[in-house]
Amino acid sequence: MTTEQDRSPVTRRGSGSSRRPSHDRRDALILLGPCILYLVAFSIFPLLYSLRNSFTDLGISKDSGKWVGLDNYVAIFNDPFFWNAAGNTAVMVGAAVVVQVVLGTALALFMNQKLRGSWFVRGALILPMLLTPIVVGVMWRAMLNPDWGIVNWIIKQLGMPPINWLGSTEWSMRTLVIADTWQWTPFVFLIVYARLQGLPGHVLEAAQVDGAGRWATFRNITLPLLAPAIAFAAIFRAIDAFRSFDLVFGLTYGGPARSTTTLSFLTYQSGFQFQQYGYSAAIAYVMVVILIVASTVTLRFVRTRGVEGV
Amino acid sequence: MRYIAGRVLAYVTLFLIAVVALAPIAYLLVLSTKKRIEIVAQVPPTLNIDWDQVAKNYREVIDTQGMLDFVGNSIIVVGIATIIGLIVGTPSAYAFSRLRFRGRETWSSTILSFRFMPAVAVAIPIFLMIRAVNLQDSFPGLILPYVAFTLPLVVWIMIGFFDEVPIEIDDAARVDGCGRVQTLVWVLLPLVRSGLVVSAIFGAIFVWNEFLVALFVINSRSMNTITLGAATLVSADRPIDWNIAAAVGIVTIIPIFIFSLFVQRYIVRGITAGAVK
Repeated sequence: MTTEQDRSPVTRRGSGSSRRPSHDRRDALILLGPCILYLVAFSIFPLLYSLRNSFTDLGISKDSGKWVGLDNYVAIFNDPFFWNAAGNTAVMVGAAVVVQVVLGTALALFMNQKLRGSWFVRGALILPMLLTPIVVGVMWRAMLNPDWGIVNWIIKQLGMPPINWLGSTEWSMRTLVIADTWQWTPFVFLIVYARLQGLPGHVLEAAQVDGAGRWATFRNITLPLLAPAIAFAAIFRAIDAFRSFDLVFGLTYGGPARSTTTLSFLTYQSGFQFQQYGYSAAIAYVMVVILIVASTVTLRFVRTRGVEGV
Repeated sequence: MRYIAGRVLAYVTLFLIAVVALAPIAYLLVLSTKKRIEIVAQVPPTLNIDWDQVAKNYREVIDTQGMLDFVGNSIIVVGIATIIGLIVGTPSAYAFSRLRFRGRETWSSTILSFRFMPAVAVAIPIFLMIRAVNLQDSFPGLILPYVAFTLPLVVWIMIGFFDEVPIEIDDAARVDGCGRVQTLVWVLLPLVRSGLVVSAIFGAIFVWNEFLVALFVINSRSMNTITLGAATLVSADRPIDWNIAAAVGIVTIIPIFIFSLFVQRYIVRGITAGAVK
């Protein structure tokens, strides 16, 4: 006799193999082999190669590539450009987590009202995050052009002084954050909105029948129920913002005066422009170490939430 | 009265959200119809459109600069990389979903964590590898690393879809004499069709927008993908003809726009995969 519970796919997943357990390993080898071999060749090997390079002075010249131990890493931590880039990256991550998550969640709650025509706005919101970040950068460079851009024109119409969005170190980082927020707030919105759609309506109704005010219902019931989705969105945004490169390339090219150089961009510059492959690899590895820690935490978080197999 | 005021406010907000989302794209569209001088002289740009100028701008982008060829290059690279990604990734998602074996957790976590890998950490080694096997400046040189980028997405999304298929289906297929691989190919794949579509879309979007590895691997202009083509036409280190730059932007946006109309619901499905269960 099996109970109803036992028959659910979740509890029985994998147990079907118990009939011929000895075949599981062989089957796993056949099914997983290609994928793992592929990743070993094109992800794991490059990462290890990068690690090795980070201990050398590899560059463009033929006699480069000598082992220098930890020299690159020591140099990085004494490099003001590295700390500058680390600071800018922290701003990107902070903005992604705070600004975009708050805006995205607010957007999801607002769109949940089922206004007429909201299907169209949902469609419109999907578009920004599909766009090539390079093009998003160019688009915002046009919008924010100091001489003829539409944004400064509007600001002048409102009687305020125009802003040097991209040319001043005071504003450049904020501008980068604005463009990133325009592109990625919809990502947070979609995740939180989907969760909101999946919430059982009767829980919220019951709370209201019990006389809980709207704020209390939101604070004590809706928000805790949304928390996993919000956290998920925040982690994904944090990691993607940590790697920001394409948008920087298209919008500011790291400037002016390195004010928008992120860690990814610094890695790119020292590798691609200055051909200091060893030094570049070491910066990349500092990023990888931070990410390994971050993604371990992420995966643990996702797993404890019952999204098994992830 | 208060209810009506609230409704009006809500619709105004809804309208503003749509404006903020679409205005930058609309602005680019308008700029792409102008003469170079008009962009500087006419602030804000007017909406009367000179179709001859539109034709001139887009002909410049498509014929002279070859953007259409770049779109074609991107479609080839994206198509092949996505298909290989699905072929390689789907069986392993199936294995992670169905089989018990040692190292299952470790491997699935490792594969999925590559979703978070910064491209700059592997771009130079990949470039050196591709150069070592003499594939620089070729489509295979781009497709090989791109498949690796699609794999975490495919595996991540497909595990979720396989998990939704009851194990009884596998058992029934087994009773009928199907082996593992046959069960996957003939019985399960048709059931996870929409998962294949979702993974293909996400793999394709990622590869379509990829920039850094392409920058390293591709040198000759005729081999440019759309991101490279766009980047060189609007690069920050030389004066830009903004009407042409805008037209370049629109040419890259149009395929994405058309694509998004058809695949909207799948996109929502893919983004929320793992987040909403």
